Amino acid sequence: MAHHAPAADTHVGEIPKPNTGWIWKTFFVLVGITALEFVFVFFMDPGTMRNAIFIILTIFKAFFIVAEFMHLKHETKGLIWTILIPMALLIWLLVALITEGNAIGAAVHNFLN
Amino acid sequence: MSTISTTQTIPDSALDKPRTGTWDGGNEPFKASYGKLMMWFFLLSDAFTFAAFLTTYGLIRHRYAAYDEKIHGAFKFSSDYWPIPDKVFNAFPGMGHADVPLGFVALMTMILIFSSVTMVLAVEAGHRMDKKDVQKWLLWTILFGATFLCSQAWEWSHFIGGHEEGTKMADGTVFHGANLAMNQYGPVLFGDLFFFITGFHGTHVFSGVCLLVWSFIATTNGTFEKRGHYEMVEKIGLYWHFVDLVWVFVFTFFYLV
Repeated sequence: MAHHAPAADTHVGEIPKPNTGWIWKTFFVLVGITALEFVFVFFMDPGTMRNAIFIILTIFKAFFIVAEFMHLKHETKGLIWTILIPMALLIWLLVALITEGNAIGAAVHNFLN
Repeated sequence: MSTISTTQTIPDSALDKPRTGTWDGGNEPFKASYGKLMMWFFLLSDAFTFAAFLTTYGLIRHRYAAYDEKIHGAFKFSSDYWPIPDKVFNAFPGMGHADVPLGFVALMTMILIFSSVTMVLAVEAGHRMDKKDVQKWLLWTILFGATFLCSQAWEWSHFIGGHEEGTKMADGTVFHGANLAMNQYGPVLFGDLFFFITGFHGTHVFSGVCLLVWSFIATTNGTFEKRGHYEMVEKIGLYWHFVDLVWVFVFTFFYLV
């Protein structure tokens, strides 16, 4: 993309036919996963198991958006890791602060009783 | 551009040459252009901001008790426990008081996923230097983005206006809807987090729509065609997909879990 073709060149030749098969495939995967999430909302009792399923399905959806739509799958390995490693640290943050939230809840509860 | 021509008197050696050395800018780290790389880094930092919001949601939600039918009896809104999203977000425009749990938010999710698809189609058309197609798909993306914003405005006004029955507050009065200081759905922070998280996401969608309108105008004026590439549409596309990505997470953590 760094190559700047002169304006005149762009009018030469036919415009190639669109290649959109992979886009629609990704779209149907995303719609399918979202539909599956709604099946779980209405037909499964709330609980840790259901939440785990939701989080896994969300990560699947995120993978398809980032890999296909944002094209990260086709970038160099270095760029992929540069994005993924910092995001992985956030999982630790999430687990740590949810545990902290439980601790605060318990402390408040014990104080009031 | 074509009116400027170099005069014969300047020797070749005096002209500025493209710098191609590794440390002179001739090297593209990760084989990605400067603009795209910087967009990725911006999105990474933005992901941290959203992750901070959602982590805060997780912390505060776990600080409050979860609703349990055995302890609390039949579900009603109460500040004793965190509300069930199905019960809060169950209205659909034009359907009055019908109970449509998460129906409207499902529609909003579909609109945003679809706008992501039209955005990729615009980027794909850009690779083929197909100006007409780029315009077409950008317009569709703008339309879906604007529809999402309108839906969110409706969602907000319904959340602020509240349900018919309202909730009896500690001082004995019945309160409907929500503001930053009190709400009928549950703990005060539930309302605050709703406003901050969906509001921050909505702001991103709004910025995205502005960028898309600008890039549509630039495409129509032939700016990118003269430049020889549609990389700008690609970069705005990255941002737009990111906004969709964030919604996928907001949807899971705010509405489903």
